[in-house]
Amino acid sequence: MAAFAQAQPIDPAAAALGDLIRIRGLEKTYADGSVHALSNINLDIRDGEFVCVVGPSGCGKSTLLRILAGLDDYDTGTAALDGKAITGPSRDVGVVFQAANLLPWLTVRENVALPLRVGGKQVGQAEDVDRLLDVAGLKDFGHRFPYELSGGMQQRAGICRALVRSPRVLLMDEPFGALDALTRERMNLELQRIWQASRKTVMLITHSISEAIFLADRVVVMSARPGRVIRELEVPIPRPRSNDGIISHPAYPALAKEIRGLLNAQGDE
Amino acid sequence: MSEAKTSVLANVTAIEAAAPKAPAVAGRKRRGKGAGGTVIMVLGLLILFGGWALAVKYLEIPSYILPSPVAVWHALWSGIAVSPSSPLGYYLPLWGTLKNAAIGLAIGSGLGLVLGSLMAESRVIEKLLMPYAFALQSLPKVAIAPLVVIWFGFGDGSKVAISALLAFFPMLINSFTGLRAVEPERIDLMRSLSASRFETYRIVKLPNAAPYIFAGLDMAVVYALLGTIVAEFLGAQQGMGVVITQAQAVTDVAGVFAALVILGAMGILLHGIVRGLEARIVHWGDRGRK
Ligand SMILES: Nc1ncnc2c1ncn2[C@@H]1O[C@H](COP(=O)(O)OP(=O)(O)O)[C@@H](O)[C@H]1O
Ligand SMILES: [Mg+2]
Repeated sequence: MAAFAQAQPIDPAAAALGDLIRIRGLEKTYADGSVHALSNINLDIRDGEFVCVVGPSGCGKSTLLRILAGLDDYDTGTAALDGKAITGPSRDVGVVFQAANLLPWLTVRENVALPLRVGGKQVGQAEDVDRLLDVAGLKDFGHRFPYELSGGMQQRAGICRALVRSPRVLLMDEPFGALDALTRERMNLELQRIWQASRKTVMLITHSISEAIFLADRVVVMSARPGRVIRELEVPIPRPRSNDGIISHPAYPALAKEIRGLLNAQGDE
Repeated sequence: MSEAKTSVLANVTAIEAAAPKAPAVAGRKRRGKGAGGTVIMVLGLLILFGGWALAVKYLEIPSYILPSPVAVWHALWSGIAVSPSSPLGYYLPLWGTLKNAAIGLAIGSGLGLVLGSLMAESRVIEKLLMPYAFALQSLPKVAIAPLVVIWFGFGDGSKVAISALLAFFPMLINSFTGLRAVEPERIDLMRSLSASRFETYRIVKLPNAAPYIFAGLDMAVVYALLGTIVAEFLGAQQGMGVVITQAQAVTDVAGVFAALVILGAMGILLHGIVRGLEARIVHWGDRGRK
């Protein structure tokens, strides 16, 4: 399937068939050195799909996400969003950064509302800031400053900010990597809830195999640098998933084992 | 180039020293020293003034070299305990000096912030102006003062100009450094939102640079005062510099000391004002950062 698709030129009608993101033969070498970050990446993400990307550190996951976010350019190949080649940041894309990346001089509410007051006139609909804060359990913290919030709350505010322009795609780069295991599990539950309510298309990068299986419709495994997609695994576990339920699901052990095996073969830590 | 590095480093140190960061910890530390600290300070002052008075008396130091503390106090009091409009008091000259220093500070630090911003935003402007900035910065600017007096005359103009010149550089360098010191993730955030350059400047870079800018302002305030005094030494109708040169002309050393005490108090007061302003504006401290 992948080999077949690779040989095909981008089909502009593909988006209508359900692929919101299409990546074909994507190559990226950082200009300042000989770092070959991405090699022949082919990946489709359906509209409304939740994809988790795992891979050894330094394999180019962030690079891939930055290219999709329009923050980095690429050498050859194509990366298209809704049938249009990605040439820069888009209103259809919301980015959740690794550390929550809130601005410490703005209140939580101002941080969440920031996308509504920059970048020119708002086209398309905007989410109601207070409703988003409410959904994220931050209703009473809107007037607080980021340093007054726990790490988990900060990242929830970061997710609200990424959602406020009501983008079609949410790109998340190890959003819960800095949180402790328990907070992380709770955040996964919340994210699943938010995603089920909004049906965004999500690409989330993670180091955690359990997180990937918990959240994803499909887990994409990348090779060590230069990063390639070496396996795509559907997660056949019904939603809503719970942290206890997921590990007792019969499909879970085999999936986890396969991903771990693939990563170990890449020499991940 | 090494000039550039040291000055930037010096600024960073100044920022760390000036910024009221991590108030909880700093506050606790200061309070810990508090009670004992005050006693030590009072003791130190007693020893200083006592030693000074005794030395003047028993070593028979002539008053035109070192006046006794009591003589300085008398001179000080005679300048303070008069009507604010008296030509003999400190109020009129102090007002004149502060007014010129303040105007010079506003012009110099304003220009420094604008040019520093332009240099931080544009590599072309940076390459164009940086060599001049460093050449001028390594020049002892007080040496230009006589030239400025030729250009602007003995009136307020030359005072304002020299103050502005001295206040300009700490603001230029500090705002430039601070605006460039912004975390790349914050720039990525603004880029991902398609923010305009000015939005990124106003919402991210400027607040991010605020601690640097205040450290620059802290230096600029003192330099502006210095600039006005130096200009007054070269010739003026009134001002604290004139008070000093007039006292010097009649070997009234106690009078010179008293004027210096006033200027020192002004320096401490202005420093306090800048620190207070910073604490109000940069309220998020370092706690929001990683
Ligand atoms: N701006 C850059 N310039 C040069 N090399 C980079 C840059 N950003 C990342 N790299 C390199 O590209 C490779 C992939 O990086 P990254 O995409 O961050 O990996 P991952 O997110 O999978 O850990 C790494 O070897 C990294 O050192
Ligand atoms: Mg990464």
